[in-house]
Amino acid sequence: MKKKGLGSLLLSMVICGSLLSACGGNSNTSSKNSGDTEAKAKVAEIVFALPSFNRIPDDLSKVTEAINAITTAKIGVKVDFRLFGPADYAQKVNLALQSGEKMDIFTTLGQFSNYVSKSQVAPLEELLTEHGKELTAILDKDFGPDILKTTTMDGHIYGIPVNKGMALPTNIIYNADMLAEAGVAADSIQSVEDLPAVFGAVKQKLPDVVPFGPINVNPTDTGLVNWMKGASKVDYLTDTTGVGVVIGDNGKVVNFYESDVFKNGIQMMRDWFEAGYLQKDTATTTITAMEMVSSGRGFSFLGGYSGMEVGKQLSAQVGKNIETKRIAPFYFDTSAVNSVTWMVSSTSKETEAAVKFLNLLYTDKELINTILFGIEGEDYIKVDEHHVKFPEGMDANTVPYTSMLSSGIVGSESLQYQMEGINWSDVELKLKENKDTERSPYFGFIFDQGQVKTQMSAVNNVVNQFLPALVSGSVDPESIIAKFNSALKDAGAQDIIDSKQQQLDQWLAAQKQ
Amino acid sequence: MTAKPKSKPLKKTLPLLILAGPGLLYFLINSYFPMFGVFIAFKDVNYAKGIFGSDWIGFKNFTFLFQTSDAWIMTRNTLLYNLTFIALGTVVSIIIAILMSELLNKLYSKLFMTGLILPNLISMIVLSLLVFAFLNADSGFVNHSILRPLGIPEINWYSEAKYWPYLLVLIQIWKTAGYGSIVYFASIAGIDKSIYESAKIDGAGKLKQIRMITLPLLKPTIIVLVLMSMGRIFNSDFGLFYQVPMNSGALYSATQTIDTYVYRALMQLNDIGMSAAAGLYQSLVGFALVLTVNAIVKKVNPENALF
Repeated sequence: MKKKGLGSLLLSMVICGSLLSACGGNSNTSSKNSGDTEAKAKVAEIVFALPSFNRIPDDLSKVTEAINAITTAKIGVKVDFRLFGPADYAQKVNLALQSGEKMDIFTTLGQFSNYVSKSQVAPLEELLTEHGKELTAILDKDFGPDILKTTTMDGHIYGIPVNKGMALPTNIIYNADMLAEAGVAADSIQSVEDLPAVFGAVKQKLPDVVPFGPINVNPTDTGLVNWMKGASKVDYLTDTTGVGVVIGDNGKVVNFYESDVFKNGIQMMRDWFEAGYLQKDTATTTITAMEMVSSGRGFSFLGGYSGMEVGKQLSAQVGKNIETKRIAPFYFDTSAVNSVTWMVSSTSKETEAAVKFLNLLYTDKELINTILFGIEGEDYIKVDEHHVKFPEGMDANTVPYTSMLSSGIVGSESLQYQMEGINWSDVELKLKENKDTERSPYFGFIFDQGQVKTQMSAVNNVVNQFLPALVSGSVDPESIIAKFNSALKDAGAQDIIDSKQQQLDQWLAAQKQ
Repeated sequence: MTAKPKSKPLKKTLPLLILAGPGLLYFLINSYFPMFGVFIAFKDVNYAKGIFGSDWIGFKNFTFLFQTSDAWIMTRNTLLYNLTFIALGTVVSIIIAILMSELLNKLYSKLFMTGLILPNLISMIVLSLLVFAFLNADSGFVNHSILRPLGIPEINWYSEAKYWPYLLVLIQIWKTAGYGSIVYFASIAGIDKSIYESAKIDGAGKLKQIRMITLPLLKPTIIVLVLMSMGRIFNSDFGLFYQVPMNSGALYSATQTIDTYVYRALMQLNDIGMSAAAGLYQSLVGFALVLTVNAIVKKVNPENALF
């Protein structure tokens, strides 16, 4: 009851807020011209919202001051710095956007085309050529000039993808001690075909251990689906449903769940499940694979990780001796790159200041590391040019401020400090892989869901209903895949495929010109 | 002198008004203000144009509710579950209330009442974990401590839909019946004790007293409460249908209701036009149902109708 009351209260506030802002908007435009010259001399103020995976400190004033010291000196912009946890972030930002509250710079957590199709974000191409030269240069250097294609729709650039190691090859992550105990050499794992033998050995030696970890959260983002995408070159064409994909480079949009790639992958998981390598309740459990491995109940899981130092980081995180082994390459489709994108709100009145700030956010070492690590001497101590550590006796939970776990979200990875003990060459390797990893021929295509919203919502439901049981091998693929596909057909999958094919053909034709 | 009769009603009604104040304010803010936004259901919301400037698209936002064969399942589930909850909930609540009122020992009566109301205070999230502790496949109480020792094959509760209609009804009744019995309990307490005494003198037993006195006198209360819950028959307790079954896909045929469908469908799309359409649809059907049921009650027994 209480929760519902709060929700309705918020809604009414949203509506009142949008009323107010609508009125406010009108009065501002009339006075803008006269105040223009004055505004230039004044410091522009923008709101910048960052998702943080660390503890959110009560007091952000010190770090905000430090950020402002940098930004006012370098670009004459004052930043109102907001920090939200990952669970809150999208909600807070959406609420601000819907209510017309000031919110200038925010990031997507995977919803790029949604924001664009609802005109919630501002086109940036003109401002970028003027105020974002350094930004474009560093993106070219670290990823390649094609990166901005992934955030361009109808010729407008609507956002800047984060600049980091984007290639996430599929790794098998396993407990190395258990592997040794089972008497298997790590080098014997080269591809996914080698895994059943390893699981069998582990199961025989350690009957209480679950050889392969559960797959959960978002079924279209599981290790298995990502492995199929990378190993068989599947381009999801930017939405997450999987009903309209292109496999390989034939340009034909098909339903992934009708393909042999999918059937074979699911059959493989079914075989593992029937051999007892997975938990019985894999499809529904809420315990993550990482937690299983951490508690010593699990042996391994599949995950996409960039670089080669993952094992070290995970070992520290879960307290076990973790090693990783790459078993499939990565395949760049559009959403692999634009899933974390910084955008400027279409209602922002300070777009110029916002782009200036973005420029700095990707190129200024001092700003990036202040946002991530806080204040030198208080929140972190510098070890050498590239490395930092926490002050004596403190860790990520006890320092006054740190957002170090947001390193995959902020600016350019090549300018970030790394924690002590992480090999710097790994960052260089990641950047190299950004350029070497194969791009889908449809890299840059963005699907506009506007025409098939209804079908998308229905299809989402069907996918949620069938996919978790299938990707965990807990149901018989023969009969369930057929049921799944007929339910998808019912929900209008063909309309999505047709709409996508039409948009893709148009996009391809435009690329040739 | 002349002012006195005027001020007296105010003096009398003021405390009542103050009492009603928070409730009125609640409805004003939460139910009447947002009604202003119903037009969003007919718009293709575009943030650059603002909600007033967005294009009108007629009933297009509503189509997603009826797009699939799920439409039938979720409507059926929502209606049947709610009807069951109303019917069974009312019966169980009345039974509890009557039993409670027969308890003469004040201490016991208070103890049981508290115990019965307590489940209502547990949040659905916590409840879902309690249920999980009973039903999880590996170490759940039912599988691990009941079925296994008895040699009965274990059941994978979270992937077999056929058990869930019973489970959900059981959970809902367990959670809400105690709380629901309060109003009935109060009504029974308000029944004139001398009626029972004279019935006793005439030789009526306990059961006959309940059948001939308590239930007929409870009728107006029952009708009002049932009418009120009719209005929400197209809404479902999201926690019960989403959290308690742990959002398990295999159970959708038994757990999908309009609310969970809307949530699942729009989680990705984040389209407020479509959400508004779903809300409007639920409210209108609820409104129509209240009017219909009230009309029927009026025809049968005009005194008991709500309005």
